[in-house]
Amino acid sequence: MRRGAWHQCGDRSQLLVAEQLEQGAGVGVILSPRDLARPKALEYAARYRALGAETLLDHQFYVPDFTNPKLNTYAISALRAGISTLNRVSDADLVEFENQLRIDNQELGATAVLAPAVVYEAGRMDIMQLNSRLFGAAKRVADQLRVPTYATIVLGRSVTASDVTMASVLSNATALNSDGWYFAFEFEEERLPSSRDSVQRCCSAGLTLACTGKPVLHAYAGPLGLLSFGFGATGIGLGHNQKLWRFTRDHWQSPAGGQGGGGDAPPRFFSSALWGTIIYPDETVQLDAQLRAQVLTPSPFCTAALTGRAWPRWDSGKHLVNVLASTFAQMAAVQNPRANAQAAIDRLSGAVTIHARIEQAGLFLADSTNVYQDNWRLAMQDVLNGRSGDYDYLDLLR
Amino acid sequence: MAPYVVPLDQARQMFPEYTFVRALTPSAQKAAFHVRDQAGHNLCLKIIAPNYERERLDREILALQSLNHPNVVRLIEYTFSSRAGHQRHFIVEEFIDGDDLKDIQRPGAPWTRAEVARFFSALADGLMAVKQSEIVHRDIKPENIRVRPDGTPVLIDFGLARHLALPDLTNTIQGATIGTPLYFAPEQFDGTKYDIDHRTDLFALGILIYEALTGNPPFFHATMTTIAQLRQAVCESEVHLAKPAFVALPQPWKILVGRLLEKERSKRPADAGQVATILRKIGAI
Repeated sequence: MRRGAWHQCGDRSQLLVAEQLEQGAGVGVILSPRDLARPKALEYAARYRALGAETLLDHQFYVPDFTNPKLNTYAISALRAGISTLNRVSDADLVEFENQLRIDNQELGATAVLAPAVVYEAGRMDIMQLNSRLFGAAKRVADQLRVPTYATIVLGRSVTASDVTMASVLSNATALNSDGWYFAFEFEEERLPSSRDSVQRCCSAGLTLACTGKPVLHAYAGPLGLLSFGFGATGIGLGHNQKLWRFTRDHWQSPAGGQGGGGDAPPRFFSSALWGTIIYPDETVQLDAQLRAQVLTPSPFCTAALTGRAWPRWDSGKHLVNVLASTFAQMAAVQNPRANAQAAIDRLSGAVTIHARIEQAGLFLADSTNVYQDNWRLAMQDVLNGRSGDYDYLDLLR
Repeated sequence: MAPYVVPLDQARQMFPEYTFVRALTPSAQKAAFHVRDQAGHNLCLKIIAPNYERERLDREILALQSLNHPNVVRLIEYTFSSRAGHQRHFIVEEFIDGDDLKDIQRPGAPWTRAEVARFFSALADGLMAVKQSEIVHRDIKPENIRVRPDGTPVLIDFGLARHLALPDLTNTIQGATIGTPLYFAPEQFDGTKYDIDHRTDLFALGILIYEALTGNPPFFHATMTTIAQLRQAVCESEVHLAKPAFVALPQPWKILVGRLLEKERSKRPADAGQVATILRKIGAI
């Protein structure tokens, strides 16, 4: 698994991803059948590979009976069904599942096979068994294709609510004979998670996976990916909007064909100094010149915003992805998780300070965009202090 | 359970094609002998008891057939035949000259760290081969580790092994409690069969390494009189991390052994290959 930022595709992002790769932003792409019909996926996968990116195909069995017209262009979707039905799938059907998984991964040129998996839930041995069976199928496919297999571990809220439950689920999930982990964490419904405990658990789970010595791709991380290298991740999944920032199963339960939210909302400028967004131009014009210069951190996609011109909302997504990808690329160059955890803490401390200055200037940002930075900082510090033995072990593995 | 004993003379009559050297320690299910074949090769002949659980034996054979590693005992022949009312049911394995690890370990006499690294990295190599065959040994203990005269460890006795790709023999959700309690992992006391995996063997490996490094076991002590006390120590206690002989170890050793003896499987090393690599790295420390 290549180390750095991975583009989490979806929500009409295929051209954006290509543009970012052309700019040198990102090392890999995770294709989303939910959002991209198979013929288009084949076309874009080839393009991404030509741009030097690794490609992965996430078949997204998180909510296994969800389907939509795009998913239906993949033959494997014929096997989408509820958990109990899937648990009764015959060996013959499983062979067909393997065949389709192999064909899709082969034709898309996937550099590893992502094992389809249902969201893990507390006390659900049936889900453990199903995921183990699906993983077995994926492993056989990967062995045929001579590529690694990454087990998908998405921890549902019933798991993440308790340290004990999470540890138990991770013990079972990590029994899979995987070459790496495709890991996501389901938070409460928020634009970005703000609970110190939840973020700390997410980092702890990631650190546990990293301590297996196998690469961890933190999927649906988005801005939270600032902490990922600090818990030992290898790759960070990011995207241009909040549907791709956080794992929420609603994404696989809503009616097909949605165009996404936002309406006529003004663009949000993602500032690496704030490690958050600020509304352009409504809020940015209220900053004094010095603060504005500090907050409007540049990228190739925000020239208009830096010069006070009209800035298309779509460009704000490109800017966000570019800022995240370049920040993560800098962190990826540092191989030491402790150093990356400390770098994240320092950056978040800086963000808290600037947010305080903005409030002192009488500006109260919308979207509650300043509520999580300090909790992320504290959560990362909790992990750094409380799990020092794990960091020692990571040092021993290096 | 009493060992299955076949008198040497009777064994000679049953297997005239072999030259019997001596009887070896029998188990409940197998009478074992050091024999030589007609070409003079030293072998271990194991005569299976009539009441042997057939399916479990099949698993053992399957496990051994899939393994070919210098640190794992090699299966040479398995025969189950019945001719003219005369039944022959036996296994022939490679004969491993040397001693059981049990006979080498001395309480209160720790090994040097270089010795520990050399011996247990080789054993971990064998365990990794076991893992790659999707097998859990489930009974790693000094009696099941032979030590060749050159000091090389060889893992033997796959009688309790479980092939993870096959359904377990135990029909109930229980079924973790098989093996030797002194080397049990927490999940063997408290878990279900679903909780048993390669890392269960790694916990036992951790106990063995701890014993070799400090001269004493991490959990068991002379005043213990019940399995419940041992269970409590294995599943709940961290006292082993505070014992002076352990505390005095260099940090990398403490980290590795501490990880092997983690209660939660997810916090143990991912596999024995990782353990072997680390042992070779820290062997000189």
